[in-house]
Amino acid sequence: MKKALNQKIYKDLSEIVGENYIAATPLATFAYSQDASIFGGTQAEMVVRPGSTEEVSKIVALANQHRIPLVVRGGGASIYGQPKGLPGSNLLIDMTRMNKVLTINPESFTATAQCGIIMGKLQYECRKEGFYIYSPFAPLHIVSLGGWIAGAAGAAGLWRDIISLTIVLPDGTIVKTGGGPGTNIHQSLFYNRNLGGPDFTGLFIGDGGSFGIKTEATVRITKFPTVMRVSIFEFNELSKVLAMVKRHLERVDPHPFDPIMVFGPGAMKNFMPEFSEINSFIVQGIMQGHTEKEMDAKYQVFNALAEELGGTRTPMLDAMAEVMTSSTSGESGMEMDWLKLFNVLGLPAWLPFTLPREGFLEVYNKLIAWRNARLGEATSRGFEYGGTWEFFTPSDSSTLIGEIDSFFKDAGNPEVVFFVQTMMRDFQEYAHQLGSIDVYNQGLMSNLHARYWPAGFKYLYTTIKASLDPNNILNPDLWTSQKHPGRRPRRKIKK
Amino acid sequence: MKELSKVRHFVYNCRKCGLCGNKVSAKVPYVCPVREHTEGFEHFYAKGKITIAQGLFEGQIAPSPELTEIIYSCSLCGNCLTQCGIIDQDSGLPLTDPPQIIEAMRADLLREHPEWIAPAYHAMITSTSQYDNPWGLPRVTKERWAKGLSVRTIQEEPSEILLFTGCTIPSNPALIPRVQKAVAILNKANVDFAILGKDEPCCGSVQRRVGAIDLAQEMREKNISMFNNLGISTIVTLCAGCYHTLKVDYQKAEPPLKPKVYHLVDFLSQLITQQKLIFTHTQNLKVAYHDPCHLGRHSGIFDPPRDILNALPGITLVERRATRENTICCGAGGGMRLFANGTLAEKIGKASLEDAMATGAQAVVTACPFCEINLTSAAGQMNHPMPVYDIIDLMTKGLRLEE
Repeated sequence: MKKALNQKIYKDLSEIVGENYIAATPLATFAYSQDASIFGGTQAEMVVRPGSTEEVSKIVALANQHRIPLVVRGGGASIYGQPKGLPGSNLLIDMTRMNKVLTINPESFTATAQCGIIMGKLQYECRKEGFYIYSPFAPLHIVSLGGWIAGAAGAAGLWRDIISLTIVLPDGTIVKTGGGPGTNIHQSLFYNRNLGGPDFTGLFIGDGGSFGIKTEATVRITKFPTVMRVSIFEFNELSKVLAMVKRHLERVDPHPFDPIMVFGPGAMKNFMPEFSEINSFIVQGIMQGHTEKEMDAKYQVFNALAEELGGTRTPMLDAMAEVMTSSTSGESGMEMDWLKLFNVLGLPAWLPFTLPREGFLEVYNKLIAWRNARLGEATSRGFEYGGTWEFFTPSDSSTLIGEIDSFFKDAGNPEVVFFVQTMMRDFQEYAHQLGSIDVYNQGLMSNLHARYWPAGFKYLYTTIKASLDPNNILNPDLWTSQKHPGRRPRRKIKK
Repeated sequence: MKELSKVRHFVYNCRKCGLCGNKVSAKVPYVCPVREHTEGFEHFYAKGKITIAQGLFEGQIAPSPELTEIIYSCSLCGNCLTQCGIIDQDSGLPLTDPPQIIEAMRADLLREHPEWIAPAYHAMITSTSQYDNPWGLPRVTKERWAKGLSVRTIQEEPSEILLFTGCTIPSNPALIPRVQKAVAILNKANVDFAILGKDEPCCGSVQRRVGAIDLAQEMREKNISMFNNLGISTIVTLCAGCYHTLKVDYQKAEPPLKPKVYHLVDFLSQLITQQKLIFTHTQNLKVAYHDPCHLGRHSGIFDPPRDILNALPGITLVERRATRENTICCGAGGGMRLFANGTLAEKIGKASLEDAMATGAQAVVTACPFCEINLTSAAGQMNHPMPVYDIIDLMTKGLRLEE
């Protein structure tokens, strides 16, 4: 009976996407059991690659009918593991076949794409039209648009660029938010998230994919800045760095043209080994725009401000600024180089944070002390690490996001892997206690965040989840073990 | 897992970030031709294959016929390695290397489970053992093409320069004119050279790529000893695969190959610079150059073929979006013409030709017999087939040697 049903599910899925886009063999599904994290995921029973919103809708409706847990995967770029679902029962939806750019509209400054598209491809298509998407901190070439919206954009300050979403709800219903016929604003070419109704786009940003599957999104695009200046200053005191950031924020909104980035000593040693004796902070201002005159003026103002606050320039830093100028003015070169740099350094213990700018100094120093103590422990256990990385930047005027990572050798040693996994978990616990919160709503970090939710927020989440997903099929238990009414997924699928 | 164990560090140094399957940029339309032209599941590209390798190490999965199917669905083109680009800062060597991982897995599968390997691969390996030619043709094939030409064997009279023809060109009637034209060009430039004729061995490239590494190693040792005792200073190869094998694999071996190794395009571009070859015929053709993986990405020969094309009167060279180190494999690498009856290889080749067509090119030019065979075969599947030339064809015309 069970076998007959499973064959029926396979057959039904085949009718939706075509047999070629279903994988149910042991190795094909095993290939999806890891992502970019060291936490991995679980091996799904089947993997399906839909090509349209309608196909996603039919798959979800089928899964809902049979109570099959669904795990949704984009680029597989999470640093905390993909949702576990219910091991032994999962149907994994690989969204990356939905990778088309639907429109790029230079009049309304918007781009609409299917959510399985990798951001690098979307960025390339925008660049061809003279536009770009502001996403300086995303590893563009591995993150999908849907994954970015569900997992990281909320915290990274980029939520405001996501205007409209097409979503498949856990019962298969297709909804669109944020503007255009059939949304809160029944007008073509009119994009606004909270006119004519509540901001339902925001509901799905940072949900980790638990409320619905994002299949299409319209995002704000910006005219590509053709002129760039980079200025780099060294500061000996973190308090002066923070003063510099604040003064910069008083003058400009960093988004999208004037990002300011701060690198700690560990990061600088990776950029420039000759920096190894210096225990200072590097402040990098990137000025982007459309005219030489405008950029020269910005450059001079930035430099004057940094000098007033005690920053110094050196020939080495000027040379580095020149390199950064050329790499960032290319085709997303900065993001690319960072990913390669990290991959070279070794097994990453990612230690990201989001902190209020006010009070940052005290908490940051505690976080650094915590990390260094843990690195001391690693050394005493004979675990070699290949470098550290400290970086932060304003995600908005009141918030700083960053990371104080470390990278370990011998990724094939299970003891090292376990040490790093523990270090990442413990860091976030500690950071939470100090008033920080992680950038990412992914994998195990979703569970950790949820443990710090107050009762009211948890009630709101579980009520919405129970309402949208009464059978708890979509990324089940991503945030919390559901105690809402409704049954847990029960159906195992077998090949 | 003997061979896979040797590259364990490559498996665990991979961060599974997915760059090898997902990068798109101005110069990279896609990374993995196999993923692009199949249904696109993760096991079709490097990240998924390395995840599977890690699963083998950790005992989560076991070798199976399915594993064989997955591991042989790779052209070993190395674009994943180029786009990944993680290099050890001290040694300058890659920290992870998907083609080496896949070659190791193929070797283990062939040794431990030969019954799972498709008959076409076994036939090629058996032919090598019987004829020293993977395509199953007798040794005399290596000298038959020279009949009536002004070319001597090294046994007849020693020479400093050896023209190494490889197995693929002399074994394929459609490609034999390539070697004959190469001889004509070298004679035109008054280069004193010789061939080995029926004594020319197979280099072992294709055997290694499909996993017959013991056989390939045996051939390499025998060949290095033979080359080092021939009294030659230079070897010029016609085939990109032979070039990479002799230039990189043989010269890294112990003892290493002593003679210098050139691919014909590198050798001829120097003769053009020295004005020993002067083109007199104008051809009026817009062409796209297809960088063979073995010659370009794996060996760094990017400029010489372009220098030749730019020197040819009337030839206009246009570049595709993916070119030089970012080139997309023609589809024939890594034994892919033996995989699934060559259907996937041809699909990849057809896409390559369509990319060239999109640039306005009237023809595709390459410098590798495997690329030429596969692209020509793929062109046959098109409504308006695009001509595929070897660079030797255009040089011969430019020198009026066909007349």
